Amino acid sequence: MANGTVQPRLHPIADLNPPASSRAWLSAPHPNLPIVATCASDKTIRIYSLSNFTQVSSISGGHKRSVRSCAWKPNLKGESSLATASFDSSVGIWRRDDTAHDAKETDFTTGGQGDNAEEEEDEEWRFALVLDGHDSEVKGVSWSAGGNFLATCSRDKSVWIWEEVGDDDFETIAVLQEHTADVKCVAWHPEEEMLASGSYDNDIRLWKEDADDWTCIGVLSDHSNTVWSLAWEGLESYKHIDSFTSPDHTAWLQRRQQSGPRLASCSDDLHIKIWRRNPREKQKQNPLSIIRSGSIEEEWVIEAELPQRHDRTIYAISWSASTGMIVSAGSDGQIIVYREKWQEDTLMTNNDTDGGPSTSVDEDASKDIAGTTWHVVGEITGAHGPFEINHVAWAKRADRGKTSDQEEVIISTGDDGSVKVWSFSAISESP
Amino acid sequence: MSAILSADDLNDFISPGVACIKPVENLPEQHPHDSENAYEVTTEDKLPSDRPTAQISLTDCLACSGCITSAEAILVSLQSHAEVLNALDANPAFSIADLQHLTSANSKKRDDSVPKKIFVASVSPQVKASLAVTYGTTQQEAGYMIEQLFCGPNGLALGGRYGSSFAWIVETNAMREICLAMGTEEALNAASGSSSHTPILTSACPGWVCYAEKTHPHVLPYLSKLKSPQALTGTLLKSILSQRLDVSPDDIFHLAVMPCFDKKLEGSRQELTSKSWQPNTREDYSEVRDVDCVITAREILMLADSRGISFPSLPRTPVSASIKPEFPDKLIAGFLFNTDGRSRQNPDSGTSGGYLHYIIQEKQRQHPGSTIESQRGRNTDVVDYSITLNGQTIFRASRYYGFRNIQNLVRKLRPTRISKLSGKAIGAARKPTNGTTTTAAATEYAYVEVMACPGGCTNGGGQIKFEDLSSLQSQTSHAQSQKEWLTLVDEAYYSMDESNSEDSTEPRTVDEKAQILDVKSLIQHWSDITNIPAEKLLWTSFREVHSDVGKTKKLDTERVAEIATKLGGGW
Repeated sequence: MANGTVQPRLHPIADLNPPASSRAWLSAPHPNLPIVATCASDKTIRIYSLSNFTQVSSISGGHKRSVRSCAWKPNLKGESSLATASFDSSVGIWRRDDTAHDAKETDFTTGGQGDNAEEEEDEEWRFALVLDGHDSEVKGVSWSAGGNFLATCSRDKSVWIWEEVGDDDFETIAVLQEHTADVKCVAWHPEEEMLASGSYDNDIRLWKEDADDWTCIGVLSDHSNTVWSLAWEGLESYKHIDSFTSPDHTAWLQRRQQSGPRLASCSDDLHIKIWRRNPREKQKQNPLSIIRSGSIEEEWVIEAELPQRHDRTIYAISWSASTGMIVSAGSDGQIIVYREKWQEDTLMTNNDTDGGPSTSVDEDASKDIAGTTWHVVGEITGAHGPFEINHVAWAKRADRGKTSDQEEVIISTGDDGSVKVWSFSAISESP
Repeated sequence: MSAILSADDLNDFISPGVACIKPVENLPEQHPHDSENAYEVTTEDKLPSDRPTAQISLTDCLACSGCITSAEAILVSLQSHAEVLNALDANPAFSIADLQHLTSANSKKRDDSVPKKIFVASVSPQVKASLAVTYGTTQQEAGYMIEQLFCGPNGLALGGRYGSSFAWIVETNAMREICLAMGTEEALNAASGSSSHTPILTSACPGWVCYAEKTHPHVLPYLSKLKSPQALTGTLLKSILSQRLDVSPDDIFHLAVMPCFDKKLEGSRQELTSKSWQPNTREDYSEVRDVDCVITAREILMLADSRGISFPSLPRTPVSASIKPEFPDKLIAGFLFNTDGRSRQNPDSGTSGGYLHYIIQEKQRQHPGSTIESQRGRNTDVVDYSITLNGQTIFRASRYYGFRNIQNLVRKLRPTRISKLSGKAIGAARKPTNGTTTTAAATEYAYVEVMACPGGCTNGGGQIKFEDLSSLQSQTSHAQSQKEWLTLVDEAYYSMDESNSEDSTEPRTVDEKAQILDVKSLIQHWSDITNIPAEKLLWTSFREVHSDVGKTKKLDTERVAEIATKLGGGW
């Protein structure tokens, strides 16, 4: 392998067809079906199949302005529920009965969309509910891990939390107004009922419920510019760091298990930071004492910064729950893939360009715990030509070309209205 | 709502503003055809230079809360106590004794060469509770300290251009009794009648009212039309003092001390001016606000500070009766002053006046043998009450405090319109946007007490907060957090000075029916002495506020027509 150059391991597979007629904002892969929902400024949401890369249905007429974001409700069987966030200040909840459509989505033989097929399928989506309340454009929407809470964020600086309380009925359970500017994104912890939000005010805030009241339990303040997107680590994805069986690594692993999944954030300041919770020292608390240890506030520290590759705003990141890799994309049209390795490994391999030492703010990491560093393992420039890339996400591969059941593809969504699917070949680095 | 207007909420940058929604009320000008410069050639459009500059007053800005920059927030807080001092310095105070002497002698010989004003103030019980806990004293003593500041010889009277002070300070508790009684009558009539507008929603909270007018006009028909205690106090003071002392309402300066900033919005409402109650016989009265200025608990301290008075050092005893001028009507005076004995409230009533509690008690009293059950809702700020008789529920009411809960309430009250989607591509999904079941549940309520602040008025935006204590000379405070602090303030709010109570341990069981009759005769008396029908004194109205943001500009002719048909000429 050549020294100092990275093999572009991203290969284009297909464009989802047909593209949106104007800027496409975000594509959300379904939690269990091989489909993806793409929302666009033409006020529609298109549902594409990842098996044959064609559109299987579309949702329109519900919103009066661009649809900025959408998210699938997790933990549903037999039906799908999609939340859509729009610049018209409302959030839509759409439902569909999946059982009739499974066959169509995985069937390769129904190639393009004939007129009949499309009309028939358009009716399958039921506009169940409109959630009003935000004063201005809704920027993000996210379901909690269990699916019981829905978080929405808006240019009106607030984050709302909703709970489904019955058939097509949601109640507002919190209106959080502590950000001082446009809130760009919200993302729930993969396990706990804790929410993270990122804003134009450069901060990330964490929210948790404390006896009836949702409250801000932490402010992660290090970015020097807008925080555009947040991504939580998967529950077990740290297990994919190579050769973690060495005893030097157990201390790191223990701490990782104690702190729980990490949070990645990307920003206008061109950095991607990895945050880790500082677990509360349990030893101090007398188990027999009935006095509570005090506030539920948490301390989060920066564990690492990914090597800087983007030269313009990074709009989106996605952290694969199965492989532990992070993919980023942004205004410069680049898609970059990063992987985590143990620090020692950098001495052995030199065919990957090292993005530089990880700036670890946390002192512990360098003292007695062998830490990790992040490296670029794939990149592509001009992925959507000269157009900005608004969103990028990992998704399970479902087309004929898949080499294994666990293989993942990268889905990028751009200002050109197109959604592109890329394969990522994980070639082993060691000579 | 309050959150936006709090003086705490200051940061240095001015947020990219939401467009100002105040419609600029310029009628389109008729430009005379410019015949002089027939040969002038211009390549670009000339900006019309003769349009009057659009003016947006602070009143408009406050009422809109569409963008409120931090600069306005500063203006709101600074201008208010300064405004009080300016008013005191602008005109000397009338001597009430002189006025009464002149009117009783039916003399027209008043010397009006130096314009004078009557200064009168009103204070809410939540403010007293807040100051009481801050300085480690009782609610009653805090009331005396406030009285000393405004009316006493060692308060505001010590300084200023004319050494003016306030003639009287009343507690809004008094008018609250009228509100409770009349509000109950309104609610119970609506419940038993075939009115389609149940539930009745409390309209005493201006944060809630402004929000409803601006964002959810569909709930306006449900709002109680009764004025709030602040508004009613203003109407009473201005109408009685003007009539009895032969002084124009313009010459009466009424200051209200309230727990929040939204009350300033209420003071600026066009519906709450002398215009609505002005007797036809006095056409010379100009339209003037019932409440000229509103300041908050924190601002009282700023007010004292600017005159070099240390609030905690003020005497904790009432102002001597010899100094206090006589109020020009004995019956009303008896009602207005010395309210402590009557106004003790049950902790179940909440810290916002206890409308719901009063109604529930009265309804239950009307049906002997019935029982009241309460159930906490989703959080402590939502409580459902039901009255059951012989196993059947005969009455349901609820309390909804806080923005997040108000969301759920207004959603339930939204009319089940056909979904606003254009029919295409939705197929059979023309379902109403909220399930029919919940709408029915909402209209089952006969009354809902709605307040914008979680925890009620003791948690208002202008109250003294836990964080303020270190900078004040606060003596006590065993509180460790804002939550604990609030509990202390609530306790002070519900408490009563031991020496005044008849039975100090039990809450006084007020005979509501007798109280309602009492109130009615009082209102009648008030109406008689001012020559104003009671309806004009007690009731008000609400209206939808339109936002132009994001909408295509209307044609000028359309706008003119719209403006012309609005009551009072629109904004």
